[in-house]
Amino acid sequence: MSSWIVIGIIVLIALWLIMIYNGLVGGRNQAQTAWSQIDVQLKRRHDLIPNLVQVVKDAMGYEQETLTKVIQARNAAAAASGPAQAGPAEAALSQATRGLLGLVESYPQLKANENVKQLQEELASTENKIAFARQFYNDSVNAYNNRRQSFPAVLAAASLGFGPIDLFSMPETEREVPKVALR
Amino acid sequence: MAATTDFVAAQAVNRRNTVLLLALLTVLAAVTGYVVGWLLQGEATNEVSLMSRFGLVGAGLMAAASVVWSLVSLAFGDRMVLAMADAKPIEKQDAPQLYNVVEEMSLAAGVPMPKVMILETEVPNAFATGTRPGHGTIAVTRGLLDKMNRDELQGVVAHEMAHLANLDTRYMVVVGVTVGLIALVSDVILRTMQWGGPSSRRRDDGGKGSSGAGLLIVLLIVVAILAPIAAKAVQMAVSRQREYLADATSVQFTRNPNGLISALTKLGEAAAPFPGVSRATQHLFIVNPVQAMTSRTPAFLATHPDIADRIARLRNLGA
Repeated sequence: MSSWIVIGIIVLIALWLIMIYNGLVGGRNQAQTAWSQIDVQLKRRHDLIPNLVQVVKDAMGYEQETLTKVIQARNAAAAASGPAQAGPAEAALSQATRGLLGLVESYPQLKANENVKQLQEELASTENKIAFARQFYNDSVNAYNNRRQSFPAVLAAASLGFGPIDLFSMPETEREVPKVALR
Repeated sequence: MAATTDFVAAQAVNRRNTVLLLALLTVLAAVTGYVVGWLLQGEATNEVSLMSRFGLVGAGLMAAASVVWSLVSLAFGDRMVLAMADAKPIEKQDAPQLYNVVEEMSLAAGVPMPKVMILETEVPNAFATGTRPGHGTIAVTRGLLDKMNRDELQGVVAHEMAHLANLDTRYMVVVGVTVGLIALVSDVILRTMQWGGPSSRRRDDGGKGSSGAGLLIVLLIVVAILAPIAAKAVQMAVSRQREYLADATSVQFTRNPNGLISALTKLGEAAAPFPGVSRATQHLFIVNPVQAMTSRTPAFLATHPDIADRIARLRNLGA
């Protein structure tokens, strides 16, 4: 009789451990999928920016400081990998991109250009997509990290290979409005 | 338990409720099949025993019918709806901004990109449909594209994406089937008794247990009359609740209540029926296209909450 109770308790504990394990696996996979979505959008932005820069350069006839900055930021961001490295680089690129979009806004002949209009919508949408994908990624990572740090998962998570996942933060270095000057 | 995102939890609840409803539906169908068979056998043999062979056959048939009906609606429901509304699929180059906004919201919701369709009408409105996760469709009218700015469009698309992410679209199909079946079954019961008139004759014969059966039959009639009304009221309550939730989830996606608020204001002013819309599909849209004209529908039978009410709740989210 008592042996049955012992077996029952063991089975319950095993089921419980399986649930914890599966929960951690699910959370980690969701975070990884979410990261790959951000990655897709970041790459898309890296591809779009040179096009817009080229069109703006052609329309204006000469290269301007803002454009050089954008390309520099873009190359730095393209070289970064992983949430921790990509965060600051992408934040700088976001800022440079806003400067570029602001530049476009202030030149009527650019704004009227069909090509520029299309690139503008694409780039603005990609910015949004990065923001929304980041939102979902960070929510997923938070859920996962909370789960692995909660009792009782915290006892086993590390030894089962469930490490913490980095949030993707894009720190705003300067909040100032990008200067749009043509010299 | 703030760990999981709200819509992931909502999805889990809807999944569970769908299974429960399907089980309930099958049991309900079986019971009714039994009752109808039992009444028919009573009529044929003048004998009322609780174990009825006709009843068992009826139960089996009805259970099978309800399973088939549910499966067919889940498999073809979305295609029927899209065909009825005359929605046309579009590619990215046909409406780049709409397509981009849908992509943005699918990223925010973490669901696969749904199909995008357009209804050619001037009335602004939108709906979502899809009975399998990852195979959704979001359809908007031409009028919506013309009248909304980007933020408003985003709010509307986010609301529809919320229905997909919460799996409301599938849940409501199953609820609809349940309500339809309850109505049908009540109808069958009432007709069976009208046609056979078994109750009165059996009572006169004074067989064993017939007075109990007579009472049971009166009860059955009352239930058959009230059940469809109650079921409809429950369906509409569920539908209104889903709308509130989708509004809230929409803001969770966009983090911008103002877009949806101003979109709802515009939608409320312009709401009108258009070709391809009917009572069968009215509950799918972001604002009810039919009820706008017949605003005398009692609140407990409305598919959607009052727009002013929805806006008030959105303002509470910190607009």
